[in-house]
Amino acid sequence: MTEPKKQLLMIDDDPDFVAGIKAILDGAGYDVDVAYNPKDGFAKLKSKRYDLLLLDIMMGRGAEGVMMARKIRKEPALKEIPILIMTGIREQVAFMFPGQAVHPRFVPLDELVEKPVEPELLLEKVGALLKASEAREKQ
Amino acid sequence: MDTAKVLIVDDEEIVLDSCTEILRGEPCELATASDGARGLALIPEFHPDLVVVDLKMPGLSGFEVLERIHQTDPTIVTIVITGYATVASAVEAMKRGAYDFLPKPFTPDEFRLIIRRGVEKRSLVLETIALRRERELLRDHFASIVSHELKAPLAAIQQNVFSLERELAAVATEDQRGRLGRVKTRVGDLLQLIETWRRGVSIDVEAIKAQCAPVSISVPIEKAVDSLSVHATRKEVELVANVPDPAPMVWGDQGTLTQVLVNIMGNAIKYSRVGDRVTVSAQARDGKVLVSVSDTGVGISPEDLPLIFNAFYSAQPGAAGERGSGLGLAVSRRIVEAHGGTIAVQSTPGKGSTFVVTLPERTDDGPGSPPRETGPQTATPKEGRR
Repeated sequence: MTEPKKQLLMIDDDPDFVAGIKAILDGAGYDVDVAYNPKDGFAKLKSKRYDLLLLDIMMGRGAEGVMMARKIRKEPALKEIPILIMTGIREQVAFMFPGQAVHPRFVPLDELVEKPVEPELLLEKVGALLKASEAREKQ
Repeated sequence: MDTAKVLIVDDEEIVLDSCTEILRGEPCELATASDGARGLALIPEFHPDLVVVDLKMPGLSGFEVLERIHQTDPTIVTIVITGYATVASAVEAMKRGAYDFLPKPFTPDEFRLIIRRGVEKRSLVLETIALRRERELLRDHFASIVSHELKAPLAAIQQNVFSLERELAAVATEDQRGRLGRVKTRVGDLLQLIETWRRGVSIDVEAIKAQCAPVSISVPIEKAVDSLSVHATRKEVELVANVPDPAPMVWGDQGTLTQVLVNIMGNAIKYSRVGDRVTVSAQARDGKVLVSVSDTGVGISPEDLPLIFNAFYSAQPGAAGERGSGLGLAVSRRIVEAHGGTIAVQSTPGKGSTFVVTLPERTDDGPGSPPRETGPQTATPKEGRR
């Protein structure tokens, strides 16, 4: 018996970038849903249970991904979801959270990768986050 | 400027009164002081745009008043009134930063004219400062906007190259895989170039100044030697550090100073041939610390020499055909200048080049204070060889 496929949601406003990521994740056996803006993404998150969220930072008129992550953190039903943050500008993220490590903690489980991301690294991060999330649930 | 604030400092009441009378109806707010000390005391609360100072007063002399004003706020425009209309004292005042002078006695028209000109000068000074600040801000914003706009599409391209490479691994021919690999490399280089450019143009001078602390010059030198030793060994170039013990202290930011030395020494290695030698040495002299990087490499042609510190100027390929981004030296110069230092180069084609970075020597109260006595140099140079 095979395990049910992990359900992933990717929120990013660049369809071509999404296609490049989705192909890798599809190929590795994940089910990937996509939203191209924070509003649709939030609606999708509330309508279905996802195992992991891939979130772009620089969307729309600035760092809408950061606002999205803050919104998720405030929702008790959502705040346990692991998030893989994807950003093109690492320093910019550090700039938004002065005094913190380059990698900000939005939710209990999150990781940050820079765009573009090598397939091996992407799959490693996704796998590790999912594993850590399962371990948390069992506690 | 809507209303200019003018302060007049003169010990003669009649002069103050008549100046006040002359300026009635002019678009300016007036304050007067009957001696230098009172005048200086008024400055922090009145915030004058223009100060008119009588040179000859009891107590603080006009020269002293001028000096103190320029120390407090160099943007305040000053005009001197000279009782004894000697050219010498007027010239002296202007040497000390006065904008103009007015010999006594003067007509109301002469006074009004010189005040108007002074106010105009002050507006220009303020405008220049505002523009300069705006230019700095724009440059930083421009850099991050441009780099995001350039990087986003490249990241989308590269992400698809990554996934295609993976998907086609089993079916592509060796030639196709090779070309895909080169696409990946070229796009990766471009992303790297944009990042280097962004870091270069948005070097935050204020942040570097804020980071400055006393640093032994041996620290960035050793770090730079460490990070380049593998590269030097691979190219069979000898890397020699020649730093006195104890090493001179500088007032600087360790991280960016290391970056500068890595850039300059990296270049020296790049333009060296097998068996050449790159020497980095440091010495203190006249309150300054000189760090020089000499190589016995290919040298720089006289035509290239004036251009090498320009952004995106990359001279001929290195001894082994390497090309650079043309940014390393431009970035280095900005960093060194943020430290209040200079960077200079001498070169003989075929014989090699010497780059000298001059930095303010560390003193206990920071930069600007007199250099401490170093005493006779008894320490023997430490020869580090890697």
